Parts: sequence; C-alpha cells; structure tokens
Amino acid sequence: MATKLEQSSETSAVLKNDIAIMIGGQGGDGTLTVVNLLGRVFRDFGLNIYDARNVLSRIRGGHADGVIRASVKEIHSVGDEIDILVAFDEEAVLAGLSDLSDDAIIVFDSSKGPLSENAKRPGFQIYSGPFGNMAASALRRNIFKNTITFGILGRLIGLEDSMLRKVLTARYERRGKEALESNLKALELGLEFCSKNISGTRYLLPRLPNSNRILSTGNEAAAFGFLASGGRFFIGYPITPATDIMEWLQPRLPKFGGVVKQAEDELAVINMGIGAAYAGARVMVATSGPGQSLMTEGVGHAGEAEVPIVVAECQRVGPSTGEPTKNEQSDINHVVFGSHGEFPRFVIAPGSANECFYLTSMALNLAEKYQLPVFLLLDQALCQNSVSIEPFDIHSIAIDRGKLLSEEALAKLDVYKRYEFTDDGISSRSIPSQEGGQSQVTGNEHNEFGAVSTDRINRLRMMRKRMMKLELAKKDLPKGNNFGPITAKIGIIGFGSTYGPIIESMEQLAAERVEVRFHQIRTIWPLLEDDLHNFIDRLDKVFIVENNYSGQLANLIQRSFPGSDEKIESITKFDGSSFKPKEITGAVLAEIRSNVSA
Amino acid sequence: MIKPKDTVVVGGIGCSGSIHNDLECYGIHSLHGRLLPTAIGVKLANPNLTVIAAGGDGDGYAIGAGHFIHALKRNPSILYLVMQNGTYGLTKGQPSPTAVPGYEGNVELPFDAVMTALSIQDTTWIARGFSANQAQLTDLLKKGIQHANALKGFAFLEVLSPCVTYNDTYKEWRERVFDLDTEKTYSPKSRVMAFTRASELLSQGKIPTGLIYTGELKSLEQNSLTSTEPMALQDISLEANLSKYEPLLKDFR
Repeated sequence: MATKLEQSSETSAVLKNDIAIMIGGQGGDGTLTVVNLLGRVFRDFGLNIYDARNVLSRIRGGHADGVIRASVKEIHSVGDEIDILVAFDEEAVLAGLSDLSDDAIIVFDSSKGPLSENAKRPGFQIYSGPFGNMAASALRRNIFKNTITFGILGRLIGLEDSMLRKVLTARYERRGKEALESNLKALELGLEFCSKNISGTRYLLPRLPNSNRILSTGNEAAAFGFLASGGRFFIGYPITPATDIMEWLQPRLPKFGGVVKQAEDELAVINMGIGAAYAGARVMVATSGPGQSLMTEGVGHAGEAEVPIVVAECQRVGPSTGEPTKNEQSDINHVVFGSHGEFPRFVIAPGSANECFYLTSMALNLAEKYQLPVFLLLDQALCQNSVSIEPFDIHSIAIDRGKLLSEEALAKLDVYKRYEFTDDGISSRSIPSQEGGQSQVTGNEHNEFGAVSTDRINRLRMMRKRMMKLELAKKDLPKGNNFGPITAKIGIIGFGSTYGPIIESMEQLAAERVEVRFHQIRTIWPLLEDDLHNFIDRLDKVFIVENNYSGQLANLIQRSFPGSDEKIESITKFDGSSFKPKEITGAVLAEIRSNVSA
Repeated sequence: MIKPKDTVVVGGIGCSGSIHNDLECYGIHSLHGRLLPTAIGVKLANPNLTVIAAGGDGDGYAIGAGHFIHALKRNPSILYLVMQNGTYGLTKGQPSPTAVPGYEGNVELPFDAVMTALSIQDTTWIARGFSANQAQLTDLLKKGIQHANALKGFAFLEVLSPCVTYNDTYKEWRERVFDLDTEKTYSPKSRVMAFTRASELLSQGKIPTGLIYTGELKSLEQNSLTSTEPMALQDISLEANLSKYEPLLKDFR
C-alpha cells in the first residue's frame, strides 16, 4: 500500500533537536487529538515536550489550536517559531502566521477551497489536500481528517508507518472496533496522500534513551501536591483556568477519605474552606481572578480569625470576565493588597509544574504554621500547559501542622487562650472535639480568648501580633532561584510561566555575548528584601518581565528599593499570550544597545 | 448527652451573631451571610460534631440567600436557626426581607422562608417556633438537633423573635401564629399537605408554626463522605499514606 517514503529521499531531511508543530482549526475539529498523538510519539522517543492549547471559552466552534514542541532538553515554553502547521481552514493559517518560521511547512485542508495568496509567504512549503472531503467520502465522517493529517505529519517527521499504527491503536482500541478501524483507514489515506504528493521526509528527530520523565500541567501538579501533603478537603466552583485542579482531585480524594465539594459560588467556597480548616482539615480552594474577587472578604476573615487556608489563584486575562482562556499575570496587586483592613498573607509563586507540586506542599505548611491565608499564585500558561519533568519526589514531603494542639497538651494547660499573645505572634490552635480547647474564633477584633473587644490597647497588641508574622516568616518563605553567571551586570526578574521563556532568552542573549543573570522570584509577598538585594545590588540593569499592562511586580519591587527606578526596566506583555523567548531577548538588546549608543 | 467539646455554634453577623459568646462550646463567628457555608465546612470536616448555625433573617434571607437555597438543596446535617424579626436591629431598624409593607418605607411583601424550604424537594426538616412559646421552641430545638445528629440532614428552624427595640411584633404575632402541632388532622410527613396548609394559613393572614415538614432523604454527609474517620482527625502523615500516593505517579505518564 504506502510506499517507503523514508527510503526514497532521506537526503532532504534535516535533523531537528527541537521542533514545534501547531494544529489549528475550529473547535471540534479534533486538533487536540493530533497534539495528544504526537505527544505519545515524542515521549516514546525520549524527548521532552511542552504543549499549549489555545481554545476559546466555548464548547464547540471558533478558532482553536494546539502547539506541541519536542526537544532534547527540558523546555518550559512553546519557543519562538512553529516549524510545521496543520491547518483545517484558512483562519488557522492566518492565526498562526506570525508564529511560523520563514520556511514553515503547512499541511492545509483545502476542502473549502484553496489557500488564499495573503496566507502565503515565499519560503513556505504548502501541501494542500481536501482532507475533510476525503474523510467524508471514504469514512462518512469529516472528523477523520485529523487522523489523515497525523499520517502526513508522521511521514514529514520520519516516523515509521508501523509506529503511527501502534500509537493510533493504543488510543482507539478501547473505543471499539469501528473507531479503531476507521482511524487506521484514515491513517492509510494520509500515507497514500504523502506517497503521491510529498517527495520525502523533511525532518528527522533524535531518539534518546527512554527516560522516566512524567508529563504534567501546573494544575495537576498542584492538585497532587495538595493530596500528597495530607490535603483532604478541596472546595471549588468551576472557573477557567482553575477547574482542572478540582477535576483532578474529584476521582482521587475520596479514595483517601477526602472530599471535593463544588459549592454554589466562591463566597461559599472560601467560607466552607474556613469552616473545614477551623475544624482541623487541611484545606485548599482554587479559583481565578473573578472568583478571587468574590473570595476577597473571606481571605481577610481568615487573616483576622487566624484560620489556615491555601488559595490557588489561577490568573487569566482580566478584569471582569476578560479572556477566560488566555494568559495574564495581572492579579498581583489583587492578591497582595486586596481586602479592606490589614492582615498578614503570603503569596507564593511557582514557576514550573515541578514547583507547583513542591510549593503547594510548602504553602499548606506555611498556612498552618503561621495560621493565615496563603495564596498560590499561578497563571493560565503554567496551569494548563503540559511539560515533561522529573517525577515528583513524594518522599521529600514534610508535613508541618504548626502549633496544632493535641488533647494531651491541652489537658496540661491551666487555661486555654485561642489568641494568646506570644513572642512569635502565633497562638496554639485547638480543634473542636478536643476537651478544654473550647474557645471563640471570630473575625471581629477580639481579646486573647476570642471574645469581641474594642479595647484600644488590645487592638494595638492584636494587630502587632498578627502583622509580625510577615516579618518572622521570611526565614521560612521560598527564596528565589538564581540562574546565570554571577559576573553578569544585566539581570532579569520574573515569576510563574515567564520562567521558561526567560531561561531560553538567556541562551539567546549569551549567543549575542550578553551575560544575564535571572532571579525567578517565588515569594511575591512579603517581598524577601535581602534575597532581592543580593540579586539586584551587583547589577547595573534589571529587567522585570511580567504578563500585565502596568508592571505590577516591578512597581512592588520598586516600592521596596527606593531610588532603584533608574536601574529597573519593565518588560510587559498583555495581549493574552505568553512571552516568546525572542521577545524578551529583543527587548533586552534594544534597551542595552540604545544606552550604548546614547 | 451532647458534650460542649463536641459542639460548634456558628454565629452570623447582627444582633443574633453574639449567640455563641454565651455558650461553653466551640464557637466560630462567620462573615455576614456566610454562616451556612462555614457550618457545612465544619460538618464535612468532622461529622461527629453537633453543628448549629444561628443567625438573623437579614443574614440568612438577604445577603446569604444564595447559601440558604443551596443548603436546603444540599441537606447537610446541621441545625440552622434563624432568629426572624423583620428588621435590621443592629444597624437601628432598616426593613429586612421579612419586613411587612409599611415598615420603615418597605413596599415589598415579606419573604416566607418556610414556603421556600417546602418548595425545595431535598428538604428533610422544616419548623417554625415563636419566642413567646418557649415550651414548643425547646421541643423543636431538641428535635432539630436530633434530626441533624442522626445525620438525617438539614434541620431548618425559623424562630419568630421580635426585636423589642425596633420592631416589637409580639402582640401582632401572638394573634397571627397558628400552631400546626395542635392540629390533629395535620401530618408533617406529607409535603403536599404541608404546602397546601401553609399556603392556606398565609392567605388567611396566619403564620404557621410547629413542625411543618419532615421527610427522609440522604444527607450531604451520606452522599459525600467516603470514610468513617472524619477528615479533621485522619492520619495524614506521609508514612501512613506513601504506598497509596506512589501509584498516582502513573497518572502522569
């Protein structure tokens, strides 16, 4: 049937250590299926992958695309350019146009007509075929066009036909004989198309020894980190891009005696969480900006009542409904400053799926040790993009429940005071069912026993007791990760999903002979001034990279470093997409070169 | 015998919100309108506890109305006590959702929480008491706690509790209340009868009191909890759970 294409024209094939493929069409075209199939192949090759899905906030229809990148090294970004685009319509080509490399290969479904000239560039290699029509006439369903293109892709990147069949079989055999046969037939149509129309393999991929690497999104990692750290009660309300955390936990927590509760709104979510945490469960809730707006009062309540709770805030484009499925980091001010009144809170920001696991675990400990709300600040790209990483080291988890009293310890006390003044601001905590631990917990200002009080001296002491936690906790909060040579005079600070693009930008800058050091900040509140000083002081210029309009992180850091305005430069992006490494590189080069010429 | 150490009273905001201060059990004072989610969180974390949520009608039927509807629907095994007085007393007498037309400029008809609760198919225990009939009120409180502590679901008890300062309705309510507990032909086990009779009494300007409805349905705890060991008291140490965590790594391949 299909000819052995690989043998006929190996000469034109280029070895790629790093390849990015985009599949685009309308929601419901099965674009993500192709991404998943490719992911399987790349992982079998021992390659690291990173995939990002660009979908609209609707069930079907509208432009949707997915990018999958494979590399010999660990990657945390989609990179700069797309090498191959599979487009099920012209809109998909136009949407991907600015991301395509100059010599990109386009596999275009011409069922609705040929590709217009304005969607073409001189260097593109375009392979058009009526894939949708082919699928409809041979298999009676247009949707099999995605498997046709999977066959074509396989040939273009030098995969053996047998491997393509194996991957399809693995995916479809559980869905019944008919589904499997139809897909295998669609694959043959794709291979036949190649034999007739494409002269050979374009790219060859390296094959590495099988690795034990795992594939995770930040959301999945955070969910597992919660569970493995003794988290048993999760409460949520569906909201993109946070819902995956709830969905990952839903089938798993009950097996550990835990519960996932979907509440009626975020007001209920945070207060149910506070009730359960007060009663002694380890609790996390998750939401995005709009939900956080509703939770803000509750977070302040937890701060005043000293109830430990972790809130995963999965940022998206805001304000209002904004762009639910798009990436932004514009809730820094919201989680650092949001609420009436003043209370201590921590804001922890993981930069990769690995860190989502470990820092969620740490956030739970910090919440209980300091008896306050802890934000886990994530962003859409970090939450939802999949990445190859080292397996989570479950053994490294340490559970610290702080000053949670045992019944024996309570029995030894002459008198128990829930809000007792102590040197470190933290009072012992009893939970209901413990004899002698009865007390009042309240969001009203209160005395040591939890009785409502407006006494002025008491107010001063209680405020200081709570607020001192911010200073005392600094020794326990996660320091930033530093990358790059200590001799560098140029620095970059970023957090969350900008980690991946910044790491790649550093390599690009090194190639331009610009030495750069990168501080991946992991505690956004309270700022660890010493940690930042160590980083910033030895530098001439510091670029703060973040996905928002006003440079919220830069403003926060500048407040702590009076007179640093000259040194600090903002690089912002707020179009709903993540940074490409080259955008950071370009901005840094433009700034330092303009200074040289000036 | 319910021990103070095993009892949690969740207070709302308003005059009613100080109720937990005068008791020797555990007490948590929630945000305005949020006592039900707080109480449900406590109960799910430790279903062995006696959980009583107690608030006012502004707290429960205005700012917390969404939670009220969903608590009725969810059937958590807690007693929810609403002290209903038709006014916001703590802020000095503004009309609440249960205020009658004419009270402080109010033009809306009063919200009837019992009728609302009856209209939700998941409710299992609905009653109304009156602070002027303390014998009946004591009995209802006891029955409501028994219903909740048997993990049979949500015990909703509205208590007519006039605000003697801003809306003293004792005289009016004494004339209007109609005690269904004393009506021999009435059965609280029939939702249809409860709905019909309560509607009739309302149309006659009467306020039905007593045990209005009781039914059987799985409670929130029975529907959600998978372990007999309360989440709040489970051994969550790594040593105790490690062997069960490791297989989950396979889900990431």
